[in-house]
Amino acid sequence: MSAWEGILYGFGVALQPAVLVYCLLGVTLGTFIGVLPGIGAMAAISLLLPITFYITPEAALIMLAGVYYGAQYGGAVASILLRLPGTPQSAVTTLDGYPMAQQGRAGVALFTSMISSFIGSILGIVVLVVLAGWLSRAATAFGAADYAAMMILGLVAASTIGAERPMKGFAMVVFGMILGCIGTDVNSGAQRFTFGQTELMDGINLVALAMGLFGVAEVIGNIRNAERQAAPEPVSLRQMMPTRDDLRRIPFPALRGTALGSFFGALPGTGSTLSSFLAYAMERRVSRSPERFGKGAVEGVAGPEAANNAAAITAFVPTLTLGIPGDPIMALMLGALVIHGVQPGPLMLEARPEMFWGLVVSFGIGNLLLLILNLPLIGIWVSMLRIPFRYLYPAILIFVCLGVYSVRGASFDIAAVALIGMAGYLLALARFSPALLLLGFVLGPLIETNLRRAMLISRGDPMVFLERPIACGFTIATAALILVSIWQAWRRHVSKAEEGK
Amino acid sequence: MNRDWADICGGAVLALLGLGVAINAGLRLDFGTLRAMGPGFFPTVLGAMLALLGAGVAVPAWRRGAKPVTIRWGDAAAVIAAILIFGLGMSRLGVVLACFLAVLIASLPAPHPGWRWRLVLACAVTVLTYIVFILGLRMSLPVWPRLP
Repeated sequence: MSAWEGILYGFGVALQPAVLVYCLLGVTLGTFIGVLPGIGAMAAISLLLPITFYITPEAALIMLAGVYYGAQYGGAVASILLRLPGTPQSAVTTLDGYPMAQQGRAGVALFTSMISSFIGSILGIVVLVVLAGWLSRAATAFGAADYAAMMILGLVAASTIGAERPMKGFAMVVFGMILGCIGTDVNSGAQRFTFGQTELMDGINLVALAMGLFGVAEVIGNIRNAERQAAPEPVSLRQMMPTRDDLRRIPFPALRGTALGSFFGALPGTGSTLSSFLAYAMERRVSRSPERFGKGAVEGVAGPEAANNAAAITAFVPTLTLGIPGDPIMALMLGALVIHGVQPGPLMLEARPEMFWGLVVSFGIGNLLLLILNLPLIGIWVSMLRIPFRYLYPAILIFVCLGVYSVRGASFDIAAVALIGMAGYLLALARFSPALLLLGFVLGPLIETNLRRAMLISRGDPMVFLERPIACGFTIATAALILVSIWQAWRRHVSKAEEGK
Repeated sequence: MNRDWADICGGAVLALLGLGVAINAGLRLDFGTLRAMGPGFFPTVLGAMLALLGAGVAVPAWRRGAKPVTIRWGDAAAVIAAILIFGLGMSRLGVVLACFLAVLIASLPAPHPGWRWRLVLACAVTVLTYIVFILGLRMSLPVWPRLP
């Protein structure tokens, strides 16, 4: 199916009234979640998972995806108005968005973030279509060793690129992979770390893990923090009108941000948070007047917002074409698809075209809806920021419990959520990334399966990772990343020692 | 002493955990060979890696200062207690009573004085839960307390 046929076909799927309603529901809820500091897209998607059991797989995927990219739009609102990032991806938007709001230009900052988000998303869709078509053809040449090498690269990239202490990231990834081992071993049927609990024989429930690490842990951490907010000033549509000078400053940062975001979004392991930080750094570097950054530069909002939206779209490339989730949110989406009996992978474009093309077209529709929702109705979203967190979080906890329970009707899972939530809270306090833990948890079993298969095929010869050209490329990239991060740590150590003298 | 206790404790716990996993898997599960890996291969290797990484995090942190981290045990205890009461009490107490109690307990650490808003909130969330999950999604759960 060519891209044009695919898109026409996708319109047929995405324009069905029921699917449209779920798309609207997803993006509205996503914006809501994004606007409110304290809960992220991760928690929202895990809360919605049980509902998706009642609808068709394509509607489910479209709704969950809508929550994800809708949250990218909404996240900027609290960042700009209150200097509280609604989502981690929009943290960098506070740097210039909040100063703009203090100068009375909150409306322009919001307009910039919305329009850049839209540009990033739409161009991200084009990149998605091109890359997915190319990659799903290339992926037929992928063997078990290539898959394993690629996933290992993803995990190493996720824990080293842009990390302050890569060692902590690695530790979380490995910890997640160990948790992924729990349950019945697929090859031999042996029980691993189940300690006689029948509930553990299927492994730790992904939904329980995600909700504990993100829903419960975030609630505990935010009970006091999210409460300390001043009510924002109301913003009207007229205040959103940018000046001609502002308009001139938006397109190029948005395009550069899109390019960065598309690339890092499609790379497994790195994602929208990283790309928004990199986009900000790039804008400051290429600017002729870098001193304006941090004091309300329009470019500092446009670049990162375009980047995180583009990344949110292209993150679907490895998920749908290779069946490898690039970040924890994609892991949840993959989990949702598998529950519906849809196995993403190189064959999905051919075997289930309605899933892929329906999703692609729904991205376009959803982003249009978001633009309509956000520009004229911005006042409503701003007033949502006045809802105190203390009214919301008890309800979130109840929804978390019932959501987890509904997956397989086990009270054991609710108790597990409580335990995981406590652990997640402590981990987040000590700055051990729970996102990397979840990534390791999801990719661990996939890596193990492919590694065992690869070693069986190569008769126990580990050189297969250097002999196969694809695997060799990934292995070299992994080694390079590790060496670079060791070198950086050593340089930090040396410069500190010199300071000490 | 102002050390980086977060990294020291976190790293040490992870290292011990890794060691435990490696020993447990090494003793109980079949390691296999490189060609035909047994169920114990992956966990043993991962456990050993985690032990090394945990030590790698904890040891350098000993000579480094950092801002102390405050753990809000009270907030955490209230949230965890609310979840456990709801999750484990649901089958006996029924959704309505369990939900009411859980919301009340969860709202305790919120830094806003007064009892009235807590009671109103508990009622509101209970009604909402009933409408969404029992009437809307038709989950089969005991609604009212079961008499012994």
